[in-house]
Amino acid sequence: MDAALTLVVALIIMGIFLAFSIGANDETLSALVGANVTKFRVALIIGGLAAGFGMIFFSGNVAKTVGANILGEGIPEYTVFMLLAVLISSIIWLIIGSFAGIPLSSTHSTIGSILGVLIVYSLFQGGVDPTTALNYEKLNSVFLSWFLSPLFGFLFTFIFFKIISKFFLSRLKGMNRIEKSERNFSWLLLIAVIFAEIWVGANSAECIGIFHALWKNGSLTTVEKNFYVVICGIFVFIGIFIAGRYVIKTLASQMTDARPSEGFIIQISSSIILMVATLLALPISHSHVIVFCILGLNTGQKRETDYKSLGKMAIFWVLTFFIAGILGGMIYFGFISAGLI
Amino acid sequence: MPQKELKKMKIDEITQYFMNKTTKQNMKIIKAISHLIIEDFDEFEKDLNYVIENKKEEKIKRTFESKIWKSKMMFSKADRVLVFNRINKIRDLGEILARKMLLYRVVFPDEKFKNDIKVILDILKTVLLDLASAVKSIGKDLEHSYEVSQKIKNEHVFLRNKAWELLTTLYNYDMDFLSRTFLYLKDLIEGVVNLADDAENFAGYLQFLATKYLIFE
Repeated sequence: MDAALTLVVALIIMGIFLAFSIGANDETLSALVGANVTKFRVALIIGGLAAGFGMIFFSGNVAKTVGANILGEGIPEYTVFMLLAVLISSIIWLIIGSFAGIPLSSTHSTIGSILGVLIVYSLFQGGVDPTTALNYEKLNSVFLSWFLSPLFGFLFTFIFFKIISKFFLSRLKGMNRIEKSERNFSWLLLIAVIFAEIWVGANSAECIGIFHALWKNGSLTTVEKNFYVVICGIFVFIGIFIAGRYVIKTLASQMTDARPSEGFIIQISSSIILMVATLLALPISHSHVIVFCILGLNTGQKRETDYKSLGKMAIFWVLTFFIAGILGGMIYFGFISAGLI
Repeated sequence: MPQKELKKMKIDEITQYFMNKTTKQNMKIIKAISHLIIEDFDEFEKDLNYVIENKKEEKIKRTFESKIWKSKMMFSKADRVLVFNRINKIRDLGEILARKMLLYRVVFPDEKFKNDIKVILDILKTVLLDLASAVKSIGKDLEHSYEVSQKIKNEHVFLRNKAWELLTTLYNYDMDFLSRTFLYLKDLIEGVVNLADDAENFAGYLQFLATKYLIFE
């Protein structure tokens, strides 16, 4: 097997592993498990299938953005080494984040790494004018979506809660009716979670983006690309079913007191934001959206917010992009210096 | 109530039924102390024996436990178990008080003491009846439950103050502090206060429930 083929195989394995880790870190199902709507195993299967379905059928737009449209006129396609640097960089930063207990966005990490790699390529290797290395119009809309998606998540949840609360929830006065209504909401929560999982799968297109880039540079045929997209969908399912269960179980055990109605409002709001972003081909962070949706609900309920933790999280959200960018650039520079390229 | 009818009841209805039984038991204790004040020892013992010998509660508890375990209720299940356990605790405190009171037939020191204890009993009666009303409302109207619980808290403060005054009076009597009369009266006051304390605690829990479940515009 020649070196180029070995690298492509390595990228395919890493892409599939990324799909597995997306499933393994997916906490969307915890609200459903916490509300005890279905058996744990059934919830995992339903969630896994929905996320896999979303990734296979709806991730095309976002994958195109990550895997091609973000590139400027000066760089028509990714090289295999560029993709390798991007993957290594974002994986390293995500692992550091996991050990440090900081929730990081894989989307921000991937886009940051791509930018770092492309800048280093333009300056030190390709002789490309950095102003043409990137599609700044697309990049601007991606950046804008990173700020707007949490904001809309916040507003949407806040308004949605206020409407439901005014016309329904605040009119329930006794535990019997509240219990009955929450039982009905738990079924709506099931639908909302399935809907959310589909769009989580569709928007987590970092791994599909790799296959799109490999297809674009001729390393994969269309049939092969589609085959690996399906494999990624299956691995998201496996990730949720095998590894995701631990995260879900832990979070669900802290949610036994949470109201299914609240879970429904949060999940439906975040999934609508994700759906719109996916249809607009914008890769956004699901965790950022969900944090702001929770914040919107808390504000609606006049609950206290832990601004200190939120501030810490926000700092890392911004830092992720820059650190992943620097890391990606350094790794790619390392490839150049080592004479691999 | 026959077991068959008990089994037909819903969880909320069993809780209310248990609360009614407990309130009836505690009313008997209050009535027993009233008989003690007028030195009608036969009626006094009759009422207290009713409290001790009444074992129907066990049947209610078992039915509730089996029902809640199998219940499809998912959101309020744990809170309903806690409410039931708290009723049971009040019932146990009442039973302990009844058993202690049966140990001796006391004669109250004077009319002032009798009147003061009557005042405390009246407040306790109000507290316990209000608590029953608050517990009964949790299924249909938590706002009402919250308001009644607040009333219980205020009544409890009043009862506590009266109880301190009465204890001070008791300690100022020219009496042997190791005598059965002194110890009995001290235990009686403390038993009544314990019952009121627990009712106040329960009222606090009901307010917590109302805050947890109700969503305000």
